[in-house]
Amino acid sequence: MTNYILKRLGQGLLTVFLTVSTVFILIRMAPGDPAVSYAGPLASNEQLAAVREQFGLDRPVLEQYWIFLQQLFTGNLGQSYSFQAPAMQVVAERMPYTLTLATAAILLTAVVAIPLGVWMSRRPDTGKELGVNVLTIAGQSMPDFWTGIMLLTGFAVLVPIFPASGFATWGGLVLPTITIAILQIALISRMVRREMTNNLAAPFLTVARSRGVRSSALTWRYAMGNSAIPVFTALGTRFAAMLNGVVVVEVVFAWPGVGSLIVRALETRDYPLIQATVLLTALLAVGVQLLIDLAYPLLDPRVRLGKAATA
Amino acid sequence: MSLDTATPAPGGAGKTVRQPSPSAVTKADIAKAGATRRRNAAKWKLIVGTICTLLVIIPIILAQVLPLPDANFQDLGARRLPPLTDGHLFGTDQLGRDLLSRVLHGGQVSLTIGLLAVLVSGAIGIILGAAAGYYGGWVDTIVSRVLEAQMSLPLLMMLLLVVALFGPSIPVITFVIAIAQWPEVARLTRSMVLVEREKPYVSAARILGLHKIQILIQHIIPNVIKQATLVVLLLLAQAVLLESALSFLGAGPQRPFATWGRIISDGQDYITTSWWMVTLPGLVIVLMVVGVNLLGDGLRDRPRRKKKGA
Repeated sequence: MTNYILKRLGQGLLTVFLTVSTVFILIRMAPGDPAVSYAGPLASNEQLAAVREQFGLDRPVLEQYWIFLQQLFTGNLGQSYSFQAPAMQVVAERMPYTLTLATAAILLTAVVAIPLGVWMSRRPDTGKELGVNVLTIAGQSMPDFWTGIMLLTGFAVLVPIFPASGFATWGGLVLPTITIAILQIALISRMVRREMTNNLAAPFLTVARSRGVRSSALTWRYAMGNSAIPVFTALGTRFAAMLNGVVVVEVVFAWPGVGSLIVRALETRDYPLIQATVLLTALLAVGVQLLIDLAYPLLDPRVRLGKAATA
Repeated sequence: MSLDTATPAPGGAGKTVRQPSPSAVTKADIAKAGATRRRNAAKWKLIVGTICTLLVIIPIILAQVLPLPDANFQDLGARRLPPLTDGHLFGTDQLGRDLLSRVLHGGQVSLTIGLLAVLVSGAIGIILGAAAGYYGGWVDTIVSRVLEAQMSLPLLMMLLLVVALFGPSIPVITFVIAIAQWPEVARLTRSMVLVEREKPYVSAARILGLHKIQILIQHIIPNVIKQATLVVLLLLAQAVLLESALSFLGAGPQRPFATWGRIISDGQDYITTSWWMVTLPGLVIVLMVVGVNLLGDGLRDRPRRKKKGA
């Protein structure tokens, strides 16, 4: 068990390291000069050179990488060019907002999508099921920025129930959460339906039914019990992906999270800020993935972590 | 299920009683059966999906031929006209450009990017997935690790990064979307090839002395290609959505290519006074993506037709 956790932790850290290194290389490979965006297009060559020296951009790339690695292990990725503050601190301040939004969205998704998927799997190929099925197709076909603007116009401008942007009150959480959840509910509920349909048709269920197990127990304890791991994995993976910033929705609703931060950092070529964002979000995402794995034995007692599955 | 064997024909009250049917299953039973309903639903999805898709695609293909104003022709005297005025079916935007024309011409760019991206990602995914599934060993290890790594990477962030750094040209965006999408195809192909390679015909081919690559290309891939292309069709829908999201964030092809995401993002500032500038392009995207998704679903659910002579 401990071995397994250590092994997964090692793999996760390796992924994070490769990710930040890839980003480091990509940034340096790309055309464009952060000094220009920092000092402005009118800056003289001397000013640009001064800026480059200040940020250490005049040194050889390998030396920059070495400095970057040192910074990585001390957890200090340098000053953000545009915020004039430690980059890690800028990202850490934004993180709670993204965390709040992602948590709210995933909770709403789970609460709606699981019952919906079960409901669909219990009446396959009926008119009602087809109707809901088409609705879920529509849900996964709407661009989230468009849904966001539509909801924003409808419920913040025309009928001002909720605030239009930012996170001043809890009401501000409603519209972005719904925008994210529409897509996630569509995806997860279809997945739940697929898993449940397979399990409801499995031989062990027929046996259980013939022994007189009640229908609700058949659905929730027998079939859902066996669908729990894939469904939980899907929800967890979605959650981990959201921690990387729900970029589009954050931009639409001017949400002060990591997603809108990265868009700004990319526009201004704020290298330390890009690095810090990627590092923190990748760490969080890997952590969540590990937690998902650790939860498997709780969901299914047959699972023994780190051991080959035995019948 | 009804048990009466001598079911009278519908509406046949006055006629002579028919011969007892040899089967207890009536036509009504068959029509009510799950398999029938599934087939009908699949057929319905196919038809509606085709209609929705064609409704968007045909005008896009014909955009140059249709009697529309030029997509970039500005008429400042006809700014933000609501739909259906002065021959502007979708109205005009803040510079007096015809919105329908812009949506159709933008659609050409969006669709081209989507199709190219899907072709590239489909090719990469099928080749790498098939190689990983068939050869196993270190090939499988490498492909699977890369797949896993990419799944755990912040996808949209990486795409934005690449586009922001290398410039939003059509090849870059196509490539970026293809890279984002190949894992799905590869995973599916890999799992299908894993099943196929254990089948007797593969052993037979091996005993006949065929080369491994020949077995893979001539015998295994034709057996999995149908399902793989089905996924590719669904990826087209995603590619269009992804491209519009990138355009919305300003990382799409630059003007004068007004792609769908860009049109919506431009119209966002006028949403309170000119609803159509955001709503209508969005509905076009939804119609098209719903159509493609319905098509994919219908094709998947459609009962396999038996081969002739089988």
